[in-house]
Amino acid sequence: MADSLFQILNISQQDMLSRLLDLDVTSNNVANINTIGFKRNRANFQELLQQKQQSGVYMQPTQILPDQGSMTTTTNPLDLSITGEGYFQVRLPGGGTGYTRDGRFSLDASHRIVNANGYPLVWQGQIPADSEEVQVQANGFVFSRVGNTWTQVGTIQVANFLNPTALQIDGSNTYLATPASGTARIGVPGTTNLGQIKSYTVEQSNVNMANEMTHMIQLQRSFQIASKTFQQTDTMISEAIEMRR
Amino acid sequence: MIKGLYAAASAMLAGVTRQKNLAHNAANMDTPGFKETLSSLAEFMKTAVVYPPGNITQDPQQMYLGNIGLGVENSPLTTDFSEGPLNQTGHPYDLAITGPGFFRIRTPDGERYTRDGRFVRDASGGLVTLDGYQVLNKNGQPIKLPEGDFRVGEDGTITVGGKTAGQIGLAAFKDPQAELEMDANNHFKAKGSPTSTTVGRVEQGYLESSNVNSAQLMTQMISVARSYEAAQKMVQNTDQLLGETISSLGKIA
Repeated sequence: MADSLFQILNISQQDMLSRLLDLDVTSNNVANINTIGFKRNRANFQELLQQKQQSGVYMQPTQILPDQGSMTTTTNPLDLSITGEGYFQVRLPGGGTGYTRDGRFSLDASHRIVNANGYPLVWQGQIPADSEEVQVQANGFVFSRVGNTWTQVGTIQVANFLNPTALQIDGSNTYLATPASGTARIGVPGTTNLGQIKSYTVEQSNVNMANEMTHMIQLQRSFQIASKTFQQTDTMISEAIEMRR
Repeated sequence: MIKGLYAAASAMLAGVTRQKNLAHNAANMDTPGFKETLSSLAEFMKTAVVYPPGNITQDPQQMYLGNIGLGVENSPLTTDFSEGPLNQTGHPYDLAITGPGFFRIRTPDGERYTRDGRFVRDASGGLVTLDGYQVLNKNGQPIKLPEGDFRVGEDGTITVGGKTAGQIGLAAFKDPQAELEMDANNHFKAKGSPTSTTVGRVEQGYLESSNVNSAQLMTQMISVARSYEAAQKMVQNTDQLLGETISSLGKIA
């Protein structure tokens, strides 16, 4: 089968579109370099062969790479981070459960533990209305102080997934479970395969600026080559047409 | 003269196929584990040139003058199996091979081989590729991962939470160019069983970059552009000569 020049234009067009998508993912990573609990994303290129014919490239699903970010100490006892695997569960405004690594919690007016977006934390327990201070232990036990007495008022459990790279991004640093990620497995922090909760700390974004910048340079060059290829194929088409004078 | 016209046209068609190959390689410059394909040209069939009898020399015999080429065609594409550079990603489910081996994967059409080590633990605990194909262990069986910290040793041994959970199967071929053919999305089909036992080492947290060389690619693209242009000019010239032949020969001055 003879190859068509117009098909080559399509290959280069798809090439350029894929680089633009990669640029979106990379810019989003860079934009979130200081977002607490943010996990970098990766666009996945894959070779496209149709009936064994070279057809360029296509994008496979973008993955979330959940490696650990570094920890920063804070002064708020309800600033929580997870060392190891796992996600905090929050109640979304629509009623569903969202999952997040962003553990900047505080108490709202009705003594609920809420995160920075105002989503209530899903946990087993209740902060008493007269509570003067709250502490969270590594295993998720929540203690409240009234006067000089500390009492355990509940526990925070964390959720994990068999394939956290396939969680769905819901915005506001919150993820949703998908069929590809599997259902949430909920358990006590620090038990098998679940990370421990650390109070007075927040987890920084796991984006590495140097990596993202290197990637962006590479991406720009790949785009240039794609656009040059496109131009050259166009010239070839024009030459083929000009043959007839 | 018609022969020359077709020879020049064949060079243009060959240029299109080469350009397509280059565009495909360029598009996969950032595809992990991608192996560039190389195009090459071969001479098309030849034909004997003979003078008809009774021409110029008054010779009653046909006179054989030698062979003339009728143009150019593309040889089948070959795959360049040289290793691409390793790129550190820090993601535990990214694996790369240093050495000649391939990961074994199970597709609906049978076992396939790939150098693309972007794997995931799927929702049922199986180790699969991004396309969802099962990664096979050294016995050719799918790998099931329990929950826990995923570690892979240099020999492909998987440990999850400190316990061994199988060994990633690698396959190698003595002459991959002859034994493997392009199949689909970055993986290859073998004509027979793996023929080599030298597979290499598995590196966790790395991906093998594509082995496309951008400088070489751009150079080849310039060469394609110029050959195409030259062939196009040859078509035009031959056309012009034919036109003159038709209009001036046989004209009585």
